Amino acid sequence: MMCAGAQLHALEAAAPAAAPPAPPAPSPENAGYSPQGADTCLGCHSDANVAGLFHTKHARPGDPRGPFGAGGLQCEACHGPGGAHVKAGGGPLAGMIDFGPKAATPALKQNAVCLGCHQANTAHDWAASPHAGANVACASCHTVHTRTNPMQSTPTQIEACTACHQAQRTALLKPSHHPMREGKMACTACHSPHGSTGPALLSKSTVTETCTGCHAEYRGPFLWEHQPVAENCTTCHDPHGSAQTSLLKQRPPFLCQSCHEGAGHPSIVNTPNGLPGRMPSAYLLAGSCTNCHSQIHGSNSPSGRALMR
Amino acid sequence: MPARSSIRYAALLLGGAAILLTGVSMADAPAPAPDTSGWKCAQCPFLQGYESQTEVGALSASGANATYGRYTGIDRSGVYADVGGSGELRSASGQYANYDLEHLGLASREGTLEAGSEGRYTLRITYDGQPTRLYDTAVTPFQGNGSNLSLPTGWVAAGGTAGMSALNSSLAPDELAFDRRTIGLSGDYYASSAWTVFGELQRQEKIGTDLTSASFLTEAVQLPQPIDYVTDSVTAGTLWAGSRASLRLSYSGSWFEDQGSPLMFANPYLPIVPGSTEGRLGVPPSNTLQQLAAAGNVRLPWFASTLTYAASLGTLRQNDAFMPISTLPGAMTPTPASLDGEVLLSHYALGLASRPLSKLSLRGNAIYDGRDDKTNPLAIAYIVTDTFPGGTAITPRYSEDHAHLDGGADYALAPWVSVGVGGQIDDIHYSPGQIVSWTQDIESWGRATVSPIAPLSFTLKAGNGLRKASSFDTAALPVAENPQIFQYEYAPRDRVFSSLNGAWSISPKLNWSLAGALSKNDYRSSTLGLIGTHEQHLSSTFTWTPSDSLSAYLDAGYERLFNLQNGYVGPNAAPWVASDTERFWNADVGGRWLASSHWTVTLDYLIAPTYEDTDSAVGGLSQAFPQSWTRLDSARLGVTYQWTAALQLHLRYERETYNSNDWALMGVTPATIPDLLALGIQPYRDNVNLIGLTVRYQLGAPAAVVSSPAK
Repeated sequence: MMCAGAQLHALEAAAPAAAPPAPPAPSPENAGYSPQGADTCLGCHSDANVAGLFHTKHARPGDPRGPFGAGGLQCEACHGPGGAHVKAGGGPLAGMIDFGPKAATPALKQNAVCLGCHQANTAHDWAASPHAGANVACASCHTVHTRTNPMQSTPTQIEACTACHQAQRTALLKPSHHPMREGKMACTACHSPHGSTGPALLSKSTVTETCTGCHAEYRGPFLWEHQPVAENCTTCHDPHGSAQTSLLKQRPPFLCQSCHEGAGHPSIVNTPNGLPGRMPSAYLLAGSCTNCHSQIHGSNSPSGRALMR
Repeated sequence: MPARSSIRYAALLLGGAAILLTGVSMADAPAPAPDTSGWKCAQCPFLQGYESQTEVGALSASGANATYGRYTGIDRSGVYADVGGSGELRSASGQYANYDLEHLGLASREGTLEAGSEGRYTLRITYDGQPTRLYDTAVTPFQGNGSNLSLPTGWVAAGGTAGMSALNSSLAPDELAFDRRTIGLSGDYYASSAWTVFGELQRQEKIGTDLTSASFLTEAVQLPQPIDYVTDSVTAGTLWAGSRASLRLSYSGSWFEDQGSPLMFANPYLPIVPGSTEGRLGVPPSNTLQQLAAAGNVRLPWFASTLTYAASLGTLRQNDAFMPISTLPGAMTPTPASLDGEVLLSHYALGLASRPLSKLSLRGNAIYDGRDDKTNPLAIAYIVTDTFPGGTAITPRYSEDHAHLDGGADYALAPWVSVGVGGQIDDIHYSPGQIVSWTQDIESWGRATVSPIAPLSFTLKAGNGLRKASSFDTAALPVAENPQIFQYEYAPRDRVFSSLNGAWSISPKLNWSLAGALSKNDYRSSTLGLIGTHEQHLSSTFTWTPSDSLSAYLDAGYERLFNLQNGYVGPNAAPWVASDTERFWNADVGGRWLASSHWTVTLDYLIAPTYEDTDSAVGGLSQAFPQSWTRLDSARLGVTYQWTAALQLHLRYERETYNSNDWALMGVTPATIPDLLALGIQPYRDNVNLIGLTVRYQLGAPAAVVSSPAK
């Protein structure tokens, strides 16, 4: 089983001073492995940190896919053969595999254990992913010896992801944000951290497909389309958070004027003269450009050419 | 489009090869395993029996409004039930059922029920309520339910809001809020050790009132718009997982239905033309997206290599009946009566990761995304804002081919230092009739990770990017659009970026991390529109765990975003210039203290202010807008008392103050702007005190039954 390397070291340090019961001698055909599998391990490692494993999917005796299913290698399915460790009466890991970001076992070797089972399903895009390229260990995010995996609860998942992605942690606190700080949306609502063939590890192929998974009303195709809506929502929106309303990357009308400078009103300069108390301007205040062009995501009205109907 | 066809054929060939390799790999024999027949697992405390935890309590909120309740559902002062619970039942034969329920007394309630048999199947029912409270400061003279908004008897229309003499007496509050409710049924069936069949049905509803607006050419009005959206989706497929390869085949379908009607609304102004007394807004059309997808990987026998592949083909359709062209008497009915829209979506991807040397890792991806809008362009004789005929226009359709290549290599020079290089190319070709025919964005980077001592490591990364674009097709520009503007997603751009990430375990009890990033975009060919952007980010976190019973953290961040843009003034005139600077800070401090075996205390205090400075200049004369700002102060205290092994009391106190000052909303009443009848929405503010007391009762202590695994 996986556990954070630091945890494992702590467990070893906290091992009872009294000598554990002498394990049976290893049989020749199991050279390298412990004599009795988990029973051997639990003879010493029986504290709450290890017991937490038995509340998880990794310790289901009825699941033939799991390490504790029929014929499974139990603890040594992940930690590797523990025969030498047992023979030495504990102490150094003697070639066993230690898990966690600070573990002695390199991340590549740790991950090979996890991927031995999970590369086929949840992590089939892992190998060519940016996380693999940055040498991130699976156990940097997942804790297997605890009852609740932090990646499976929304608040703790956000905490785990933003421990590294600190710019996103800052962004999530901006005034306009998805309901993440409130614990109603996890990073994995959009991202597939185990790898993806979409941009930015998105779980769907494109940004637009990802966004319209929930915001299907903007999916179209519309009679009158607004090109960036069809191509990429992040042209105008910053999904991680913004100081502007509706996660906009910039304040309208200036955002709109980044692209639209037609003759007439799209090109006029907006100054403080348009504020209340002077000459209040509908181009500047309230919804700005969307005061008229409200169908900014596209219109199916025959008269929606300028996205006003 | 020949380029699109060749990319598709190449991708199909590569995808076929990958699936063939998968087939070859299916024949691989598993590696031999040690004899475990004597491994009884007699000491293993497998779960068996029943356990549950029930939470019952109440929350009292004062000062709550739409600001605090935006996503929490606690949107007004009062008392809310705080009810939740979880439980698990597991039999010796591996049958199980569990549930998890949260926030049952709030609109943000959610729950999961799951049942199954270990290693055989899992069934799951989920519910998620997500409130969205937009504004509770809106006032409007419009009346009516559903999709027909009228003005009160005695309404006095005028050419501007100042002349609407019945406005003030007609205003009534209107809450802009909606709820998103999602219910799902999903399951997995483990047909064998290699095959899994999965499926999911989901229905998502979004019901309430949104904010919209509309114009009558020279005047506009903000409106409350009822929304009633339903999206049904289905995903089903199978997964094969072999020792050296995997394959996932799936179908997904999504049916979006807008159950509302086009929004009819009275014209509060004096009509510009006779008969223009009401308007009608379109609503999002119902649509369908269906996709077939295949994905998987093959572990190759060379250099510890893995090949990943993915392909999907989808069709997006929309054929909602058009609404009438206009509310004007005698307006024509459009022909044809619906769009019959169809967009083909395709996605092909291949990735290869390899480790030819123990110190060298290589990886690369080739990805193609195609959006092929097959919808026939229509010639539409349209009416401008239900006011006057605008002529006939052809509806533009947008298709694109996006090819993406990326690659990277990392090499460990020594145990304490590694270096890497990488890059990517994004090549997008647009269908005829768009502003550019292609863009190409090339980015490259290098990075070094140094760990001079074991507890300290940092990574420095730097790179640049260059985007090129075809010349503009001025004929494709919308009418009256200025051909001098390079729309920024299609404009040539120089980009430089760098980042520094560090982590230091100062001691086993004290950890520190740092993240910093700089980037600069220069739209070097643009004379109008966006000229440049700068982004800076810096954040740092300390965590301190002096003992198992005490932990604390301090987290701080800073971000600065800067935009510079030019606008058109006239021929041979210097452009107007606008700049916008946003600065964002956050500081968060807190901790957890297990004061005794009975008492646990958690504390968190957060400050997050935002400042925005906008400046516009014409003819060199700079005019600064008032500073816009927001500030969030939040303090949260939790005290848990473990009364008995089964009974726990939890006291929660939260204080949040949110203030903001936005010049686009401040002081904008319904009548402030002569040509906009506004809803009078004001910037978000709250001052909330929340106190809650919850009793948690544990029923059926976790069973730690020692049993033997099935053999």
